[in-house]
Amino acid sequence: MSGMRLVSDGEARDVRLEGSAPPSRTAARDLMARGSDPSFAWIDGRKVPFRAVRRAGELVAIEVGGELLPVRAARDGDRVFVGRAGRVFEVRRERVRAATRRAGASAEHGTGLVAPMPGRIRKTLVRAGDVVEAGQVVLVLEAMKMEHAIRAPASGTVTRLDHAEGDLVEAGAVLAEIR
Amino acid sequence: MSSRARQPIRHLLVANRGEIAVRVFRTAREMGIGTVAVFAEDDAAAVHVERADRAFPLGAGPAAVTYLSIPKILHAAKSAGADAIHPGYGFLAENAEFARAVEDAGLVWVGPAASAIEEMGDKVRSRARMRDAGVPVVPGSERGSDNAGLAAEAARLGFPVIVKASAGGGGKGMALVGSAGELPAALAEARRIAAAAFGDDAVYLEKHVEPARHVEFQVFGDRSGHVVHLFERECSVQRRHQKIVEETPSPALDPALRSAMGRAAIEAAAAVGYVGAGTVEFLLDADRRFYFLEMNTRLQVEHPITEATLGVDLVRWQLEVAGGADLPGGLLDGGVAPRGHAIELRLYAEDPVEFLPRSGTLLGWSEPAGPGVRVDSGVERGSVVNLEYDPLLAKLVVHAEDRAAAIERARRALAEWSVLGVETNAPVLEAVLDSPGFRSGEYATDLVRKLARTGRPPAPDEVWLAAALALAESGDAGGAEQPGSDPWSALQRFRSGEGPP
Repeated sequence: MSGMRLVSDGEARDVRLEGSAPPSRTAARDLMARGSDPSFAWIDGRKVPFRAVRRAGELVAIEVGGELLPVRAARDGDRVFVGRAGRVFEVRRERVRAATRRAGASAEHGTGLVAPMPGRIRKTLVRAGDVVEAGQVVLVLEAMKMEHAIRAPASGTVTRLDHAEGDLVEAGAVLAEIR
Repeated sequence: MSSRARQPIRHLLVANRGEIAVRVFRTAREMGIGTVAVFAEDDAAAVHVERADRAFPLGAGPAAVTYLSIPKILHAAKSAGADAIHPGYGFLAENAEFARAVEDAGLVWVGPAASAIEEMGDKVRSRARMRDAGVPVVPGSERGSDNAGLAAEAARLGFPVIVKASAGGGGKGMALVGSAGELPAALAEARRIAAAAFGDDAVYLEKHVEPARHVEFQVFGDRSGHVVHLFERECSVQRRHQKIVEETPSPALDPALRSAMGRAAIEAAAAVGYVGAGTVEFLLDADRRFYFLEMNTRLQVEHPITEATLGVDLVRWQLEVAGGADLPGGLLDGGVAPRGHAIELRLYAEDPVEFLPRSGTLLGWSEPAGPGVRVDSGVERGSVVNLEYDPLLAKLVVHAEDRAAAIERARRALAEWSVLGVETNAPVLEAVLDSPGFRSGEYATDLVRKLARTGRPPAPDEVWLAAALALAESGDAGGAEQPGSDPWSALQRFRSGEGPP
């Protein structure tokens, strides 16, 4: 599969970038390595010819439908922040394989507790090795002026507790694992 | 105080970070004053450090042991040979102990006397003081008290009431309480936050007045005892009890009300022998009655809108008055008059729905410019936004001939701002500028809560294409890229070494 599934604001698109030939991501990458960008894309099966315009290697505009559209993009892993006409869109690549692995990981290794937002660990109420009931508060996360109880999604044994009270954590950080 | 000899400042240490440190350095440099930055370890690459002539470390750890450490800051001042300290706002700006320690160390304190900070810093005491001086105050609990006493006071005032920290401002520890049943939990939470933020868990109650506007007056005093007001700032656009948009003049004031409030502001400042820049905050109810809320004994975040309409530099005045100079004679004769209209938009790293702070790296940052546009920022592309500190990234200040033009200028400039990598409140700021309430000038502190939540149009093709190009650029997840905040992307990279999927 040379296309990618992109998600932003609850909308999803399958996007495949292509040069004039042959249609594969490797080809697209080769094109870019030679300093040219792909010349058309498939967006949900719709063919969209376009031209990428760069300044010092950095994408500054995309020409599509005969019009040049200023755009900025910055990537962080599987996330891309795209600025267009005063708005910012956060676009994520959805990884089918990663999702499969995630499901596998859960079955194999129990359930991970993930920080729903960035914040500070205010309290840890369990220790590694503790047996917890489903719904039991495992730790308390403080974001600004609010405290959020992080609860065990299932009964089991706490096999990992990576953070101490006072630690700052990012959104998505694995806080604990319960098997 | 007036007997004190003039002692012009030569080397100024700014005990702060971010946009306010940068802003103070700019004026100091224009005055030929040497500039000294201090920084916590996680700020070694911060913008404010590079905008100063010299920079001294405060060590690693949370703000409590860096920017809030009086001994470390005084030590840095000594190492740098600084002769004055400007506290900015937040951190130690309203800490009387710090003001006293600075003066005891033989340094110039750019701010009011420690006694004035104490007088105004204790909100319960300042309310009593203002009432005695004939300035109207919002009905509230009259003494710091235990929970039982406050419950009785709440019953007397009638719900809803607001719980406020006696020792602080900035909305910290503030909570709206709708009924007696909610009071004990609200008091406990407010005390906990107040203790953590200000080292004092005293709280008090105020009657909740709504709809109401927040209108504040800039005041300025010198060591010869002159106190003037520099007109008002309308601060009613708030979320979480914190301002996000300010404007001057206030659409709510007419000349008679402006004059009455200005006189009350001067009385409030004069009552505590105020020296330097300060702000007297008032609540204005639907019947256009005004009440003293509190006095901020420091430079205010939103001071640039006053600078814009008056054509003055308040930090320059702060530094000159701290060095012993009197306020300019022309000013005392009522010689300044505001011109045009100014609006400030505060850009915060926070989500635009729940207003929770966001952290991350600013992967893209490009500021607006052009006629009538000023940006005070403390970040650049690549800056790391850390949850340890206030999430204010920058302030956009626009100035135009009238209010309508200022609103259009603010919209134009906001749309020029490109911030990638960290979510900001820009959509909220845009919605405020577009709202009928703001446009008409008929708004109160509930404006943000009442904003219509309109869905955004879906991303156009060029956005999906730009994202796909960026993702294709450095190969797939196995390539050399920054780790994402998604723990599963890290997991996958780790596992891809185990063999083909």
